[in-house]
Amino acid sequence: MAHSIGNGSRPGVFSQLTRRQLVQNGVLGVGALAAGSLGPLRAARAADEINFWATGTLDIGDDGWRTIANDSGVKVHFTDNGNDPGPVLAKLAAGNAIDIFDVGGLQGGCEKELARRGLIAPWDISQIPNYASVWQWAKDIPYLTHDGKAYGIPTVINADSMIAVRDKAGSVDSYGVIFDPKLKGKTAMEDAWINSVTFTAIYLKNSENAKIAEPGNLTADELGLVMEFLIKHKRNGQFRTFWNGWEQGLQLVANQEVWVMTGWEPIVYAARMRGVDCYYAVPKEGYEGWANNAILLKSAVVRGRTKAAHQLVDALLSGFYGCKVGLLRGYVVPTDNNVAYATAHANAFDPAGVRELAERVKQKFAGKVYWQNTRPDNFQLYETWWQRLRNA
Amino acid sequence: MSFDAIVTGRTSGGRLLFTTITALSLAIMYAPVLYLLLASLNPDAQLGLVPPSRYSLKWYFALLGDGRLAGALKESALVGLATAALATPIGLSAALAYRAMTRLRGVFLLVILSAMFVPGTIEGLGLSATLRVVGLAPSWVTIAIGHLLWTLPFAAVVSLIGLSAVRPSTIAAARDLGAGPIRAFVDITLPLMRTNLISSFVFAFLLSLNEQARAYYLAGRQNTLPLYMFGAMNSGASPTIYAFSGAIIVISVAVVALVFASLVGQQSRRPRQAPGKTSY
Amino acid sequence: MVAEVEERVVPHEPGPDERVGGARWRPAGFLLALPSLAVFVGVGFIPLALVATWSFWSFDPDTYWIKPAWTFASYAALLENGRATVFLRTAGLAALTATASTLLAVPAAAVVGLLSGPRRAALLLALFTIPFFTSGLVRAFAWRLVLGRQGVINNALMSLGIVETPVEWLLFSDFAVLLGMVAAYLPFAIVPIVLAFARIEHSVIRASQDLGAGFWTVLATIVLPLVLPGIVAGFLFVFVVAVGTSMEIQLLGGAGASSISIMIDDVLRVVNFPLAFAIATVVITLLTVLIIIANRALRLSRLFESLGI
Repeated sequence: MAHSIGNGSRPGVFSQLTRRQLVQNGVLGVGALAAGSLGPLRAARAADEINFWATGTLDIGDDGWRTIANDSGVKVHFTDNGNDPGPVLAKLAAGNAIDIFDVGGLQGGCEKELARRGLIAPWDISQIPNYASVWQWAKDIPYLTHDGKAYGIPTVINADSMIAVRDKAGSVDSYGVIFDPKLKGKTAMEDAWINSVTFTAIYLKNSENAKIAEPGNLTADELGLVMEFLIKHKRNGQFRTFWNGWEQGLQLVANQEVWVMTGWEPIVYAARMRGVDCYYAVPKEGYEGWANNAILLKSAVVRGRTKAAHQLVDALLSGFYGCKVGLLRGYVVPTDNNVAYATAHANAFDPAGVRELAERVKQKFAGKVYWQNTRPDNFQLYETWWQRLRNA
Repeated sequence: MSFDAIVTGRTSGGRLLFTTITALSLAIMYAPVLYLLLASLNPDAQLGLVPPSRYSLKWYFALLGDGRLAGALKESALVGLATAALATPIGLSAALAYRAMTRLRGVFLLVILSAMFVPGTIEGLGLSATLRVVGLAPSWVTIAIGHLLWTLPFAAVVSLIGLSAVRPSTIAAARDLGAGPIRAFVDITLPLMRTNLISSFVFAFLLSLNEQARAYYLAGRQNTLPLYMFGAMNSGASPTIYAFSGAIIVISVAVVALVFASLVGQQSRRPRQAPGKTSY
Repeated sequence: MVAEVEERVVPHEPGPDERVGGARWRPAGFLLALPSLAVFVGVGFIPLALVATWSFWSFDPDTYWIKPAWTFASYAALLENGRATVFLRTAGLAALTATASTLLAVPAAAVVGLLSGPRRAALLLALFTIPFFTSGLVRAFAWRLVLGRQGVINNALMSLGIVETPVEWLLFSDFAVLLGMVAAYLPFAIVPIVLAFARIEHSVIRASQDLGAGFWTVLATIVLPLVLPGIVAGFLFVFVVAVGTSMEIQLLGGAGASSISIMIDDVLRVVNFPLAFAIATVVITLLTVLIIIANRALRLSRLFESLGI
C-alpha cells in the first residue's frame, strides 16, 4: 500500500524493477526456505543477520531492508506477524516464536508480561546511540520500561482519532458523532477493545463527565460503564460494522459504507486518492496514542545476536527508516533524524513532507493524548466484557 | 471411470431445474472471483472496478517482482504437496482398514474424524508446543505435519466413498481366478479408485493451501500464502494480492481449457457408445 | 436380473467368520489402521492431551501464565457472558451453511455425475474447484465490494431503478455471511457427492427406465440412496469447516459478530489459555457426540459399505 504524505506524488516500491532485484528477491525466498527446512536449530550463517518478526506496519520492503543492510551491516529477514497482538503473544508465550525470531515489533503494553516470563531481554541503551534523539515523550511511555530497564524501543508512533467524510458528516470535532443517532448505521469502530474501549472512555470522560481516571487503563467499574454504553449503541444498530485491519478499514471509507469511524490516519490519504473527500478529525476530547515497539527476544541472546539486534534498532532510528516508513505508510518514527536524513538525501525523500509529518504528530502529542495499552490491569475483564458486546 | 450420459434427447423439467441450480451455484462461487479478476486490472491502489478504458496490467507486472509473495507461494506449494502426498495414501489405508474391520469400525472412524473437530488455532498452538519439546524446528515440515492431521479425515472419507463403489464381486472374481489379496488390490481396486485418489490428492492440497490457523503457529520464518495474505490485508497490502488471485484464475482456466481441448481431440477418435434406450 | 439388482441395493454385513474370496480380513484391518492411527496418536493425541490438561489449570496473574491449580473455573466461565450462545449460533450457522450447500450441491453433482458426458463432467468439476486455488480471505473481502452500498449489486439495482437508496442488509448481515460461506465451501459438498456417483451402475438406471421410471423416480429410488454416503460426507465437510472458520463472519458480519474461532482468538489474546482450551475441549466433545448420535440415528456406518458385502 504505497501512499505518500501531502502532495500525492508516489515514487514507490514498484518503480524500476531490475533483474538484480528480482534475482535477489528469489534468493531471499529460497534461502529462507532452505534455512527453515534443515532440521534442528542451526546457528545463523552470518552473525549479523536478524530475524525481525513484526507487524507489517514496520515493513519497508526488501529494497528498503537492503539499504539498511548496506548502511548498518545488519541483514534483516522480515516476517509479517499478522498485526494482531493476540496470536503474536500466544505464539511468543506458548509457541515457537521465541526460537526462530530475534527481534519482535508489535503494539506496546505486554513488555512487562514478556519480561516477567523471561521471553524478552532488556535493551542496553548504551549500544543504541540514536536513542538519544528519540522524542522525550516517546521515551516516557509508561509500559516501555519495567524494573527500571527499557524493554521496548518505540519504532513507529502516532495519535489516532477519527476519519470523517466531509459532505456526509460535516465538521466533526467530537467522538460523540460516532454515537450520534443521526448517523445510525453509518459509523464504525475497530473490532478490538484496546482501541475502541479507549476511544469511548476518552469521550465519556471528557464530554459526558464520566468518572474515569485513565481511559487507557480502566478499573472494573469504569469498564462496566464504558461497555454498557457501547452495548447500548450496538443494540440500537448504531454501527454499520466493526473493522479489522487496513484493507477492511480503508474499504469502509473509500466505498462510503461509513461516514465516520475511529481509525488510522493513513486511511484518510488513501481514501482521498480514491476521490473521497475525507479528513482526520481533531476531537476536543483528545487522541489515542499508540506505538509499535521493538522488543529483544530471548533467542537473540541465546544465539549471540544481541549486538546485531542493537545495531538494527539503532539503524531504525537513524533516519532512512523513518523517511521510508513515512513515505510508504504515512507514519512517523519518533526522532528528528528523519528530517536530517531527508534534507541530506533530497533526491530520494521530500524534506518538507517529512518535516510536516513530524510536526503534525508532535502537535497532536502536545495536546491531550491517552496511550493505548494491550495489557491494562484488568485485561482479562476487558475480554469478558467484549464477549458480552459481541453477543448483545 | 467414465460418466456415461444417461439422459439424451428432450429436456425434462427436472433436468432443466438441475442445470439451472448448477448455473446458480457456479454464479455464486464465481461472483467474487470474477470481481477480483476485473478489479485487478484497476491501476489504482485500492480494490474497485474501473471502466475498461483504464484497464492496466500494472499490478500483474508488479507481481513478478514481489519476492515475498513468491516465497510464500513456494512455502505453500511445498506444504500442500507434502500434505497431499501423505494424506492420500494414509487416507486410503484408513478406508481399507474401515472396510476390513467389523465391530470396531465405528470407533475407528470416529477417532479419525475427531481430528477434524479440533479448532485450528488450538491445534496449531498445542502442536507447536509439543514439537518444541521434541526439538523440531518450525518450518514447512512442521506445517505439513499439522496439515496432515487436518486433511487426513477428509482424505479418509473421500477414499471410503471411492471404496464403496468397488464391488466385492469383482474382487471375489479376481480372487477366484487365483489372485492374492495384494494383487487384487493393486490390479483391481487401485485402478477403479484412480479418479477418487486423484480427487483426494487435490482436495488435500487445496485444504492445505487455504489453511491459516494451524499454519500461523506451526510456521517458521517463511509465511505460507494465507499467512502472507492475512498480514498484507491487515497492515496494508499492495494490490498485487488481487492480481495474484486474478493470475491464479486465468492460469487455472487456461490449464483446464488446454486439457479439455486435448481430451476433445482424443474423444472424437473413439467409437461412440450405444445411446440409452429411453430419453426424458 | 431382478435378483442381481436386489443384491446390489441391499447391503449385507459379513459375520465375524465370513470369508471373502478365500482370505481372512480381520488381522489385516488392524495393520491397515496403523498408519492413520499413528498420525492421530503421534500428531493429534499429545496436543489434545495438553489441551485437556491445561483447560483444568488456572491463570496466574503474577506471572501472566498458568499454574497447575486444578479447577473447573474455565468450564464454569463458559456459561457466562453469553459464551454458550456463541456455540449455538456457530453450530446453527454451520448447519444452515451445510444444508444450503448440500441443497445446491446435489443437483449440481447430479448434472456432473449423471447428466454429463465424461468431458463435460471433468470440466464442470474443474470449474467448481478452481476458485479454491485463490485465497479465501481475498474472496470473502471481494464480497464486500459486490454487496456493499456502492457495490456491484446495489449499483445495478439503482441504475435499473428498482431501488432508490442502496439496500443495506446485503452486507454486514447474516445474509452476507451465509452467502459468503456457501460460495466458499460449496466445492466441499459437491466433490464427495460427485465421487459417490461412481457407485451407480448405469445398467440399473437403464433397467429402471425400461420399466417406465421417470426422471424423479429414478432420482428418488435409485440415485439418491446410492449417493447418500457422498451427501452425508458433503454435509459433514461443510459443517466442520464452517464451524471452524472466522473469515466470512469477520468480513461480512455485523458489528462484532462472533463465532467459536473468533472467541478462541479473543481469549488467547488475553492469554487465558485455560479458557481457550476449555472452549476447544467442549467443541470437540460436542461434535463427537453429534457424530455418535447421527451415526446411531442415521446408520451412517452402513452407508460406506460396499454394495453387496
